[in-house]
Amino acid sequence: MAVEVLEPFLKGDTGRNTRGLLRLIILCTIAAAAVASRLFSVIRTWHPLGRVTGGTLYPGLMVTSGIIYHVLRLLSMPVDIRNICVLLAPGFSGLTAFASYLITSEMTTSPSAGLLAAVFMGITPGYISRSVAGSYDNEAIAIFLLVFTFFLWIKSVKNGSAMWGALTALFYGYMVSAWGGYVFITNLLPLHTFVLICMGRYSPRLYVSYSTWFSLGTLASMQVPFVGFLPIRSSDHMSALGVFGLLQLVAFVEFIRQQVPNKQFQTLLRGLIFVVFVVSMGVLVLLTVSGVIAPWSGRFYSLWDTGYAKIHIPIIASVSEHQPTAWPAFFFDLNLMIWLFPAGVYMCFQHLKDEHVFVVIYAVLASYFAGVMVRLMLTLTPVVCIAAALAISSILDTYLVADNPIPTETQSNGQATGDSVKSATNMIKDSLRSTRNPVLGIYSYISKASVVGAVTTYLLLFVLHCTWVTSNAYSSPSVVLASKLPDGSQHIIDDYREAYYWLRQNTPDKAKIMSWWDYGYQIGGMADRPTLVDNNTWNNTHIATVGKAMSSREEVSYPILRQHDVDYVLVVFGGLLGYSGDDINKFLWMVRISEGIWPDEINERNYFTARGEYRVDDEATPTMRNSLMYKMSYYNYNALFPAGQAQDRVRGSKLPAEGPQLSTLEEAFTSENWIIRIYKVKDLDNVGRDHASAVAFDKGNKKKKTAKRRGARVLRVE
Amino acid sequence: MLALDPRSYGNEKSAASLMEEVLILLLGCISNRGYKLTFESPKNDKLALFQHGERAFDHILLLPQKSKGTSSPANVDDFGLPNPGLGPALTPKLLVQFINQNGNILLTLSADYPTPTSISSLLLELDIHLPPDRDSLVVDHFNYDAASASEKHDVLLLPQGSRLRSDVKDYFGGDGTIAFPRAVAQELGNSNPLLAPVLRAKSTAYSYNPKDEADVVEDPFAVGEQISLVSSMQARNSARFTVFGSAEALENKWFDGKVKSVDGKDCKTANREFAKQIAAWTFMELGALKVGRVEHHLSSITGDAAGNDSVAQLGYLNPTIYRVKNEVTFNIEISEYSYDHLSHLKIDPSDALQLEITMLSPYHRLNLIPISQTPNSTTFSSTFKLPDQHGIFSFRVNYKRPFLTNVDIKREVTVRHFAHDEWPRSWEISAGWVWIAGVWITIAGWVAFVGIWLWSEPAYEQSKGKKMQ
Amino acid sequence: MRLSRQLLSFLLVIYAASISVAATWGFEDATVSVNKKGAGVGGGFKEKIGENKALSKPIALGASETLKILLTTKEDNKAKRPHQAFLLVKDPQSNLDTSFAFQVKENGKGKIELTQKDLPAQLLSSTGPLDASLVIASFGSTKPYSVKAFDLAVELDSGSPLPSSEKPLRYGKLPQIHHIFKSDPNSPPKIITLIFTAAVVAALPVLLGAWISLGANLNHFSTAFSSSPIPHALFFCSILAIEGVFFKYYTSWNLFQTLPPAFGIGLVTFLSGSRALREVQGRRLAGLR
Repeated sequence: MAVEVLEPFLKGDTGRNTRGLLRLIILCTIAAAAVASRLFSVIRTWHPLGRVTGGTLYPGLMVTSGIIYHVLRLLSMPVDIRNICVLLAPGFSGLTAFASYLITSEMTTSPSAGLLAAVFMGITPGYISRSVAGSYDNEAIAIFLLVFTFFLWIKSVKNGSAMWGALTALFYGYMVSAWGGYVFITNLLPLHTFVLICMGRYSPRLYVSYSTWFSLGTLASMQVPFVGFLPIRSSDHMSALGVFGLLQLVAFVEFIRQQVPNKQFQTLLRGLIFVVFVVSMGVLVLLTVSGVIAPWSGRFYSLWDTGYAKIHIPIIASVSEHQPTAWPAFFFDLNLMIWLFPAGVYMCFQHLKDEHVFVVIYAVLASYFAGVMVRLMLTLTPVVCIAAALAISSILDTYLVADNPIPTETQSNGQATGDSVKSATNMIKDSLRSTRNPVLGIYSYISKASVVGAVTTYLLLFVLHCTWVTSNAYSSPSVVLASKLPDGSQHIIDDYREAYYWLRQNTPDKAKIMSWWDYGYQIGGMADRPTLVDNNTWNNTHIATVGKAMSSREEVSYPILRQHDVDYVLVVFGGLLGYSGDDINKFLWMVRISEGIWPDEINERNYFTARGEYRVDDEATPTMRNSLMYKMSYYNYNALFPAGQAQDRVRGSKLPAEGPQLSTLEEAFTSENWIIRIYKVKDLDNVGRDHASAVAFDKGNKKKKTAKRRGARVLRVE
Repeated sequence: MLALDPRSYGNEKSAASLMEEVLILLLGCISNRGYKLTFESPKNDKLALFQHGERAFDHILLLPQKSKGTSSPANVDDFGLPNPGLGPALTPKLLVQFINQNGNILLTLSADYPTPTSISSLLLELDIHLPPDRDSLVVDHFNYDAASASEKHDVLLLPQGSRLRSDVKDYFGGDGTIAFPRAVAQELGNSNPLLAPVLRAKSTAYSYNPKDEADVVEDPFAVGEQISLVSSMQARNSARFTVFGSAEALENKWFDGKVKSVDGKDCKTANREFAKQIAAWTFMELGALKVGRVEHHLSSITGDAAGNDSVAQLGYLNPTIYRVKNEVTFNIEISEYSYDHLSHLKIDPSDALQLEITMLSPYHRLNLIPISQTPNSTTFSSTFKLPDQHGIFSFRVNYKRPFLTNVDIKREVTVRHFAHDEWPRSWEISAGWVWIAGVWITIAGWVAFVGIWLWSEPAYEQSKGKKMQ
Repeated sequence: MRLSRQLLSFLLVIYAASISVAATWGFEDATVSVNKKGAGVGGGFKEKIGENKALSKPIALGASETLKILLTTKEDNKAKRPHQAFLLVKDPQSNLDTSFAFQVKENGKGKIELTQKDLPAQLLSSTGPLDASLVIASFGSTKPYSVKAFDLAVELDSGSPLPSSEKPLRYGKLPQIHHIFKSDPNSPPKIITLIFTAAVVAALPVLLGAWISLGANLNHFSTAFSSSPIPHALFFCSILAIEGVFFKYYTSWNLFQTLPPAFGIGLVTFLSGSRALREVQGRRLAGLR
């Protein structure tokens, strides 16, 4: 009945307008929901990316927030830049939802698919994890750019329009300026083109769009200082160049074929193309070997061989985001979409137009990458949303029709919405047999109701899951830890802020703080002190130096600390509280990273017991117990416990009866729950002793008088 | 013991002292420069080196103390130990703390009075070694005072002043002869750069224990020039500690005494002058450097312009940021304190004041050249080109020399790379001309093409425009 | 230096000889021998040392060899034990010295044994031979004896590493360091650049010539301007203006100065261009192109 009332609005011209309006309202609601769901999170680590050297980061994020700030100022809305930075990620997630609506709408004639994709994109935990308020990170805007660039690409391939191609290149350039993950686009678009060529789908549209994108996009990407000449010198970008060349050849052949319809000549040409292709590949390989073209970057290798990073570039493997994904993570982040995803991809095979090929390729690649690295789950999320939306919308379109299907209805429906697509659709002949048969529809109300009910339930459950995940996993700040007391009340553990505040208040402005690089940004941002290394991994040697200082004996570490002008050393220790993300648990990575640079001095094996165990108790190896990290973590820890009872609650082990002694450092600060411990690096001894004997002297141990001389005298030389 | 406090005049408080004669003489050299003196016996309960955690005295002069039986009742050992310490106020720990708080100590030893264990363990901390036998003394059968010690040879005659090294300033020089009676040998550890011998024995001298080694010496504690009779230690905070091997050398008898060398020549002792030098050095009247202005600026800005055009006026002085390859001038003004006034610092040609431009390791190490001089100071300068490496550099003048207080001046500056608009413009690079020409030719061609596209009439039936589509 | 010292010792000898009135310390029956460890007693080198004169040849002391000196000390030609009977070893280059005491019996018979292990590292690593003197002296007025006896050349075992004689830290002048700058990038010879530039510049006339030979002309100029003058004028001028903006950007403007005019002109181009191109399309549809 309601349908009848709505009938006039849904049919004809008014219907089109109403539907358009409805769609707009829905989209706005989705965007609002997408933004809102990210606001209820507490601000995570707040650290604007800032470094001395400007040429080593992607400026897109900062430029974006700067532009927004200035535009708002221009509109006389004085908003603090900090607020803009905090709200940037949620704001862009709304745009991402919109972009996924656009791209999904390109895939299918069904209007609901786009809206569903937008909803999914808006609330999926896989994306929320990177875009909550305060996560001011490159990914915050990069995912929007990724999806939107893909949309523009689809658009330009469909239309064969240089304008859309240029727009693709423009947003590609923006993407390059924003995130290192742009390489994904750089390789995905050529792959798409290549597959299309291989499928015999070469068309002038493809030629125009790809050539436009490649030439303009490459130029645009080279404008980013950090990228510079990489697009023409690094292997990561060579596939785009190769496909560009191939495309020119194919276009040339097509042109020749039109001019000279000679069968033999064509065969000859095919051979020629093959030879040219092989030769150019050979040249490429030669250039790579000779070093003109930089070899694949380490991060890229680790995508193909998950064990590669651990051996060759521990610094990359040490980041938890770079670990291979555990399978529950897929369900955790994507929930019902993970099983709708294959269905959606299958449906793409049903149509298999150019854009569907793109989705298929994207799906395959992104699935693989998401399996390799946790972090790349982010690139998988959009395609999962698209595919899942395709699947669900097709179910709903089929089942959520009150009328009995009339064979022509689908046709008219398509007519109403798919005007622009039609011409393109007609150009490609249906290639799969299944698509030739007209879809009829469902007649039984029971099956309609049950299927729609089930899908609705699933969707509601999905919303529930997303809300739960967002509130529990992604909204807790990492600087403030919360724990539940036995009576159920919440207990806030605020050691990080306590320690950073201590640093800010009690150390000189220029005091250099050494810590493991995970805390670099936090120290820089919250304690306002320079750090040796921060979360940017661009200088491996420097990080390895810190690793070496942490994992060596005091006598070795002290000169390193002196050389780097270190005033304070900060370690994170969770042994008292049972906080497992502490430095002792990260310690092996420090050892591995520094072993990569100084294999003679640091050996990972020495930190394991004879039975290959990583221990901190009585059986810990001497190397382990003499390392600066171990000493700093457990210094004076014994004093908290009755004699011989000291216990590490993270490792679950009893500590040696005698605690470690420090002579070159002195304890400066230990936070309430011992999570942060700060040590001051001692100056050289005032009267020229070594630190150990100075400490012994202060403790009242008298130096033994030099015993009767043995061997030769030592003469003093001036 | 004696503590000197230059902060106020007069009000001398005298306590029981064993060698007042020595004191008066030594103080004759220095006390007329306004030290407030406090005499204390180490046994005094009220004696405290620190008051409210701060030093109570600026300098300490420690004199040898008679062990039991030979001294006044006040010094009878309370604990019944044969070699008492110096009491609770003068433990080695407190003395080290005194040095750490910039206090100076002049310690005198004498072979006649056994050195307390607290002193020898303090010296051991400083890597100065005393003979294990407390009664040991230094003899030299080749250089002794034939007048007073013709039999025992225990009054050494030594020429005053031999430079430690050719590049080290000579604060203890002179032409006189020093008489050094009943000296305690010190041996300095080789590894400690803070130590420096001031007066060394001759190569034929040796230290022996008159009790155990009266007849023959078969394993002497120290021999030859390795015997340091007066040793100095300058801590990293420039606090000074001097060990004077013979307290008797400061006695009246030797201050202006006459001695006779082995070959029969008579001469006057130079002990007074030497004591003055030692005391002045220890109490920071000699070899104390003061750093005045430290400036650095771009060399392109002339520093000598006056008034409103001067570097400081223009705000170009001591910027916190430079660019790679900038020409920078660094100036440092240093004065040297000499007894009672600041004078200009003169550096020996074999030595140099050096400036390091450091990031992790020095990129430049340059000699600073004196450019100007006032009666009270010398200005050293160097002009250099910053390295082509960006980062946080420090301009560091680390001037540590024996007998001179440490100068360690560090100025941190950020060195940035070229900004995008500081590179040479593209037309200045000849290799770029091809590309620039290409760009503008393309533009011209494009404009021409637009014109033709808009306004060209087809030449043939099959128009060119169609082809171009 | 060396000469003067020898001269001095020579003079001392003369002096000692001339004033024989005063009692002096001395020695007799002094022999120096160098024996290899394990070798027989008579295997090594052996030499007599006379009073007041040095051996002409240096004595070599190998790694596993022992230097042995036997003597009898005398005071005024009477065998007597002195308080000081030293072998003074001095490095004439660094002026470092050390002494080794003889084991002297009551009757004046003294003995000393010396191996490389007994020598301080600083002397072992000396490049030249060391001066070895005999010092015999005691209390009282008897004249002491100190005359160079021989040169001692230390022969280090080439196989074993040099004893650690690393100079300890002493504060002093350090060698100067001058940073070596990376060399500036080079341009190819200007003549090559000019040739290629000329080739590039020549491309424009070639292109124009080719167009003209293919029949390019501006005959429709008047038609276009008569039908829609403003769009055509604006379009063409705005394209020129964009190139002008680009030129300003290349020479002086920064990005933020460039973007506003570029956007403004771009808008004009877009609007006028659509009109102008519509006119062109009209001509094409009319078969005029």
